[in-house]
Amino acid sequence: MPVITLAKDRFSTFIGRPITVEEMAKWLPWAGFDIEDVGPDYIKVEFNPNRIDFSSTAGVARAFNGLREWKTGLPKYEVAKGKVVLNVDPSVSEVRPYVLAAIIRNMRLDDDSVRELMEMQEDLHWGVGRDRRKISIGVHNMDVVQPPFSYVASDPNAVRFIPLDKMEEMSLNEILKKHEKGMAYSHLVDWASKYPLIIDSQKRVLSFPPIINGELTKVDSHTQNLFIEITGTDYNAIARSLNVLVTALSDMGGTIESVRVNYPDRAVVSPNLTPQRMRLRIHYANELLGLKLSESKVIQSLRKSRLDAKKISKGVLQVLIPAYRIDIMHEIDLVEEVAIGYGYFRLKPTRPATITTGKQHSASEKANRVRQIMIGLGFIEAMNFILTNEVAHYEKMRQKVGGMVVTLANPVSTENSIARGELLPSLMKNLADNRHESYTQRLFEVSDVIRISGKTETRSERRLHMAGVCSHPTANFTEIKSIVEAMLADLNVKRWKVKAARNPSFLEGRVAAIHVKGKKVGVLGEVHPEVITNFELENPVGAFEIDLEEV
Amino acid sequence: MVELREHEQKTLLTLQKLEGRAPVDQIIKASGLAHAAVMRASLSLTMKKLTRVHEQKQTVITLNEEGRYHAKKGLPERRLIHGLLKLDGEASVDEVVKKSALEKKFLTIALGWLRRKGWATIEKKKQVLKAPKEPSIGVDEKLLSLLDQKGLLIVERLNKQLQDAVSILKRRKLVKMDEKTLRELELTEAGWKLVKQGIEIVKEVSQLTPELIRTGNWRKVKLRRFDVTAPGPTIYPGKIHPVQQIIQRIREIFLEMGFTEIRGPIVETAFWNFDALFQPQDHPAREMQDTFYLANPKEGKLPKRNIVDAVAKTHENGWKTGSRGWEYTWSRDEAKRLVLRTHTTSVTIRHLAKHKEPPVKVFSVDRVYRNEKVDYKRLAEFHQIEGIIMDKKVTLRDLMGTLKEFYLKLGLKKVQFWPSYFPYTEPSAQSTVYVPKLKTWMELCGMGIFRPEVVEPFGIKHPVLAWGGGLERLIMLKLGVDDMRFLYKNDLGWIRRSPICQ
Repeated sequence: MPVITLAKDRFSTFIGRPITVEEMAKWLPWAGFDIEDVGPDYIKVEFNPNRIDFSSTAGVARAFNGLREWKTGLPKYEVAKGKVVLNVDPSVSEVRPYVLAAIIRNMRLDDDSVRELMEMQEDLHWGVGRDRRKISIGVHNMDVVQPPFSYVASDPNAVRFIPLDKMEEMSLNEILKKHEKGMAYSHLVDWASKYPLIIDSQKRVLSFPPIINGELTKVDSHTQNLFIEITGTDYNAIARSLNVLVTALSDMGGTIESVRVNYPDRAVVSPNLTPQRMRLRIHYANELLGLKLSESKVIQSLRKSRLDAKKISKGVLQVLIPAYRIDIMHEIDLVEEVAIGYGYFRLKPTRPATITTGKQHSASEKANRVRQIMIGLGFIEAMNFILTNEVAHYEKMRQKVGGMVVTLANPVSTENSIARGELLPSLMKNLADNRHESYTQRLFEVSDVIRISGKTETRSERRLHMAGVCSHPTANFTEIKSIVEAMLADLNVKRWKVKAARNPSFLEGRVAAIHVKGKKVGVLGEVHPEVITNFELENPVGAFEIDLEEV
Repeated sequence: MVELREHEQKTLLTLQKLEGRAPVDQIIKASGLAHAAVMRASLSLTMKKLTRVHEQKQTVITLNEEGRYHAKKGLPERRLIHGLLKLDGEASVDEVVKKSALEKKFLTIALGWLRRKGWATIEKKKQVLKAPKEPSIGVDEKLLSLLDQKGLLIVERLNKQLQDAVSILKRRKLVKMDEKTLRELELTEAGWKLVKQGIEIVKEVSQLTPELIRTGNWRKVKLRRFDVTAPGPTIYPGKIHPVQQIIQRIREIFLEMGFTEIRGPIVETAFWNFDALFQPQDHPAREMQDTFYLANPKEGKLPKRNIVDAVAKTHENGWKTGSRGWEYTWSRDEAKRLVLRTHTTSVTIRHLAKHKEPPVKVFSVDRVYRNEKVDYKRLAEFHQIEGIIMDKKVTLRDLMGTLKEFYLKLGLKKVQFWPSYFPYTEPSAQSTVYVPKLKTWMELCGMGIFRPEVVEPFGIKHPVLAWGGGLERLIMLKLGVDDMRFLYKNDLGWIRRSPICQ
């Protein structure tokens, strides 16, 4: 989850009154923040990824003021009509078709606000931009360049500029191959014949989206006027991200000025901060929350969440949603706003009225019977992962890797490359891990394996298996057979037979297949000495495994 | 050869010293054995016919309070005589009483006994006493002073005279009588023979065998006495895995609360794992670094067309749900991809899609997967607890109340609910519980009501309350384990030594 550090003094400026860290820590959780760390003059909080407007101190302060009822209702933002134009060249449509822009004038930045501006961009790149694919942001010092600006696609080798924080000019191609950001994000453009650029009227490069800005327009604490451009593949995501950014900068003291974005087929005045309108039915909110709030109480709660609402018909409100609240997509989201404004701490727990009876799943019932029998036979239960690898699962067991194995496409660790199809290899590993413990060792597991199956919609099925191993200096076939027979008798399995079988994990002539009602359901025998050695064990091992789906 | 225990041997040897016969008390003194040990020996030795027990009834006589008083001061009639003789053998009763300082309450008794013993004459009219000389000491007085000296006497052992005096003092209510049984132990001939031979130590037997029991030879051999405080050899019972024990308790809680257990595929289509839960196809959680995708088998089958279409449209534009949707082009191929389920909610939505009639109360405690690097607080494969209520008119407050009950049954009494966010619930909440053992609040289960975009494509018409959380954190808390990986190491030492009751 994204994190923001709120400096006490800076936070006080935004809420317009002095505050203590304790008071911040007390109230922020009721707005949905998780306290990570409380310092003497700061507090570090996690916020939920849907609330990207919390990526600035200004955004947190708006919510905090509302919750404390110091400022409620919709925050108002003015957009001054500007003359700056951004022309969109048709060439960008193939690589990164959309752009929107805005100007912020008269900013008074300092090191803290510059840092926060960078962090906001990163949060938006990740949370909304899906790591710059859908949107990427460029914030520029406007005073060093000359509008009108253009959004064009350029030949990868035709243009050179100095990337941010570098000393030398590089071509777009060089940036993708050598620059750290270029290498990290090259996949977003390298498939296109031309790469996107934002340039000014003198053809100076402001940015190479979504890779890197130019050093020329670098923003620092002396920058006063900002040009903001957001490019991407998702027009709505761009518009919303721009709104989140400019409203925060406005709260930080800047004046928002519009930019005329000329597409080949239309012109857009950007940003558009018109509040979104949405209907809320009072009874809908009350029924889900288990409350009986009046219209005015609902309106008051919404205002505390920094929304506005008015009644438009009996029991129905029209709610105004500020432009930075890009998370609200359905009436249900307003219900939560009512709950937060009302206060989660005021919601008294109740119990549902309906009486029901519980029932356990037949697989659990069966597994529990097996557990009862096996502990009666003196076995200790093991719990192993379904995830395993070919070496542990097949090679050490003297089995061939077949084609019917559930295999992972992208494991982060080579330890986990397949899903087990048997339990016994895990139990052998358990014996290996416990060599230093006293013998006799008797272990069992009753759990799932996964097998490929053409019949099911997931092309595989989980099957409940059970397996046991018994190891000590005189462990043998007879002992494990007695155990299996006792277990089958206690499970009340009828019509079972044991037949001589071959299995490379077991000693020849000391391994048998278990058949129930004519179907092979399992194996039992003395584990092959090579397998025992593969697991670096010394004592003989009697072992068995049964597919419980068949008994 | 008879086998003797230590207290038996000592008793025999003591008896030999005491010339073959002695009361128990005397044996105790002489042998230094405890009373109980001598009593046990007397029984067992008699059973072995080495001794004989003599029992005698005895009457023990002691002075009572009044008796002790008279023993010191003299009997009242004696005191009266002394006073009279000091007045030259003739004086009025009043004068005599005064002279002898006799208490008034004893006067009648004293005059009665003076007359009965014939020590003095009384002239009735003048109330004048006359006595010729000091009368000699009577047997009753002898017995009285003897009792005073000895504290107690045994009636049967007194001579005839004194035995008569007993009845006098008894009648005068100056003594207390108690009956006791006296045990004396006497060596038999066999006993004498044995002690004269000297007592032999017999070889000890430690295992009582069927042979010894059947033949009765266990009587003849000496079964070794064990040091019962010595530790026994360790044995380890069969046992349910500690994690499974807690899973069982949690399952019991759900069952007690009327929930039905559900179980579903571990290998799951992205459709049921993500799309059905309104997670957009470009959501970060769906990316390769978070989710295990399968190389074999690669793709599964999607459900019926109408369900897939409704889900697709909800993603794209909100369909009929009133939502704006995620505003992108939904891909069937992406939805067909097979994954290891990242949560058990895939099983829940599958179940709800088939069970639309309220009420539905279901739960699962089952395996889920995250493609993450494993460390002390993160596993790639772990368990999720999930509870679901779908019913008419259930509310967020009902969800809080249900969770509170759930925690209470786990022994967690203090619960708080905070606003939170989950992709498929709205409103959502996070619960924190107070853990007395750690003296701290801890985040456990997340919760919320399924979004309309989740339920409406499946035709579910009533609110779905959901909560869930990781099992392992709870287990680490309960078992005091601080590395999550350890829970599934199957360390036999740990399992063997973990008490069932924790």
